[in-house]
Amino acid sequence: MTFNATGLRYDDVDVGDELPPLDLPLTRSLIVATAIASRDYQDVHHDPGLAQERGSKDIFMNILSTNGFVGRFVTDWAGPDAVLKKVSIRLGAPNYPGDTMRMTGSVTKKADGLVEVAVRGANGLGDHVSGTVTLELPRD
Amino acid sequence: MTEINGLKDSAAIAGIGATEFSKSSGRSEMRLACEAVQAAIADAGLQPSQIDGMVTFSADTNPEIEIARNLGIGELSFFSRIHHGGGAACGTIQQAVLAVNSGVADYVVCYRAFNERSGRRFGTGVQDRPPSPTAEMAHFSWYSPFGLLTPAQWVAMFARRYMHEYGATSEDFGAIAVADRKHAATNPSAWFYEQPITLEDHQSSRWIVEPLHLLDCCQESDGAQAMVVTTPERARDLAQPTVIVNNAAQGAGVDQDMMTSYYRPSITGLPEMGLIARQLWNTTGLGPDDIQTAVIYDHFTPLALPQLEEFGFCARGEAKDFIKDGAIEIGGRLPINTHGGQLGEAYIHGMNGIAEGVRQVRGTSVNQVPGVEHALVTAGTMVPTSALVLGVDR
Amino acid sequence: MTTTTPTTEDEKAAFLAKLKAYEGRTYGPPMRGPDPVNQAMIRHWVEAIGDENPVYVDPDAAARSVHGGIVAPPVSLQAWVMRGFRPAASATSDVQDEIMSLLNGAGFTSVVATNCEQEYFKELHVGTHLSTTTTVESISEEKATGLGVGHFLTTLVRYTDEHDDLVATMRFRILKFKPGTGRSATQAKTDAEPATRPPRPRPAVTQDNAFFFEGAQQHKLLIQRCSSCGRLRHPPGPACPSCRSYDWDTVEASGKATVYSFVVNHYPQVPSFDYPLAVGLFELEEGTRLVANFVGVEPDAIEVGMPVQVEFVEHDAELTLPAFRPVQVTA
Repeated sequence: MTFNATGLRYDDVDVGDELPPLDLPLTRSLIVATAIASRDYQDVHHDPGLAQERGSKDIFMNILSTNGFVGRFVTDWAGPDAVLKKVSIRLGAPNYPGDTMRMTGSVTKKADGLVEVAVRGANGLGDHVSGTVTLELPRD
Repeated sequence: MTEINGLKDSAAIAGIGATEFSKSSGRSEMRLACEAVQAAIADAGLQPSQIDGMVTFSADTNPEIEIARNLGIGELSFFSRIHHGGGAACGTIQQAVLAVNSGVADYVVCYRAFNERSGRRFGTGVQDRPPSPTAEMAHFSWYSPFGLLTPAQWVAMFARRYMHEYGATSEDFGAIAVADRKHAATNPSAWFYEQPITLEDHQSSRWIVEPLHLLDCCQESDGAQAMVVTTPERARDLAQPTVIVNNAAQGAGVDQDMMTSYYRPSITGLPEMGLIARQLWNTTGLGPDDIQTAVIYDHFTPLALPQLEEFGFCARGEAKDFIKDGAIEIGGRLPINTHGGQLGEAYIHGMNGIAEGVRQVRGTSVNQVPGVEHALVTAGTMVPTSALVLGVDR
Repeated sequence: MTTTTPTTEDEKAAFLAKLKAYEGRTYGPPMRGPDPVNQAMIRHWVEAIGDENPVYVDPDAAARSVHGGIVAPPVSLQAWVMRGFRPAASATSDVQDEIMSLLNGAGFTSVVATNCEQEYFKELHVGTHLSTTTTVESISEEKATGLGVGHFLTTLVRYTDEHDDLVATMRFRILKFKPGTGRSATQAKTDAEPATRPPRPRPAVTQDNAFFFEGAQQHKLLIQRCSSCGRLRHPPGPACPSCRSYDWDTVEASGKATVYSFVVNHYPQVPSFDYPLAVGLFELEEGTRLVANFVGVEPDAIEVGMPVQVEFVEHDAELTLPAFRPVQVTA
């Protein structure tokens, strides 16, 4: 999926609209690069040996990156004039290298210029993330 | 040993008492013990001060002297504890039988009380037991470092081999669970009252440890059960119909381990239960055909099968055929675990099964089998264990 | 670490009261991020995330948009105050340390992040310099969760800018739980800082069995042998069941064995092990049996009777154990 450069207006959106799904291949590079780009240097996000010592089967994605992908997934659909107001997520199965996270979402509420989107990111183990994003879209 | 002894028909169970069975009693184990003991004494029509002997499991946390103090029992001239977890259940009765026959006590209470669900659960494993250099802890050295930590896991090793040698299947184990839950469904005291299961439910329940599904494993319970044992002569003067202990027996087999007797030439039988069966049949003159109902220890379904074989209800390896077509359900050849068993009523370390045996002989079970003259009750499997036969008073 | 787990209702109530005393407490003075929001770090972020929204990097597009200029992705909020690769000693707070050591001391040693809720009030324009104040919002009573028995700790982080204006808030919830107490521990290793994996349970070593574990340390599978009659025995013991001799030595097994029985553990999940965990009962060609793990085979592929060969797995500096690998049988 590519970024929606035109962008959505408030009136373009209806409750029940589905967001274009995003399949995110979870490469080792992606997990390390996003951790470092978010200044998260915890070893479990880049050092497989230490991650295993700490009881994880491999390195795994950090929470800041999960938030980053949730934000991207929604603005990819909504475009440049969307303003995020709230991101509320619940965390589940880890994102390990070699897996793929499929992100899906749909509009669940619409009122007063604000749109609420339910978002889910599932990998081979189950739901990595689920939650809601509230965003403001231009009205005219 | 002689396999013959002078204890035939020499004692009676005069009273039974229990707490409710739950997953969170909200009370101390000590209080549960007191409540059950008091209820058993009252059921017999005795006063606490008449009790002069007490027996429990070495695994129990409630000292007999504490119960005696709390209930105003007073002096005790006999007290004893039996080791080996659930294998102790019928062994406590045997201790009482020995005591009332030798005259060291007149009225003995046998009890077991625990918060096995809301407190320390056996199913969570033994990984935190300290590696102290005693024989009992060294035993775990051959299992814990490899992750074989729980009773379900120890039993599953045996079950897999049993399936391999005799062609038994998970569905055969499921038949035990279905029968137990059918009986529990009509027992208001059972945890799984009004919750019968189908074989499909059993098969689709999640793995706990392959080849055991969740529904092959008893739930863990809080609760307490107690029984009063005395001589038949004294029992006849008490409140309840006299339930004779035709005999009780203990057994530890050759090369016996605690839950992991994996090193015998064959591991598909329960030789310790076979030893008990020989003693019970030889001392009472009874046999499988004299038993109308049985409480077969069922903390996990697979080990119910070899118990039926060891007691001679069927030939070795043929229990899977014996239990087919409702034979072990009410109306069948040998209804088992008519209270729901530990899978359906509660896991009280086998003591609640003895109480059900008593009710069947009294004729007061919620799932009464018609014409019961003798009921067999067994205790823990894969451990040094015990069993007893109860009968009507003639 | 010695742990004293509260067990009675009174102990639990006293423990909860100690925890509850931290509600409303703040993790020390406000902490300021090292740098204001800047283009270079935004670029690192959006490149890594693959976010093509031009308002983060294209000044013209940003100026035309509702944002009026370059902004950082709001979801990058936390990144601006991260402690970095070599955090200063002052980067942790006493209050946080106290709560964690209280929970760890009571056996709630594992941690998992469960919820994160961010609300944005101002955009993160280039130049915004964030500071944070973290307050303990609530600590729950003991809860039985799928992962285990534990306490939820919810903190509220307030993000303010250089004008002390509120930019955003973040409510962050973690569960501190007792490993191995979960109803379904399948997600025990979830997205958070996993607790250090505890070592495997230690064997209880006695004068009768020490040889076995010392042998394993040297990658030898030793069987106890009666010096008097030659009978092999396992598990070992001080005396020979055949001839009652107390004299014994050991022989090294060939390591060739067959699977006599096996199980595949799913529950409970103890943090020292990976699940599903296959455990076998192996019959050595010398005739004795022993319990050990498998290597090099998926649980689904294990069969009774399968030929296997011993290997040794060094679990940690003090514990090496035998494990068995299936061998290819050539016709």
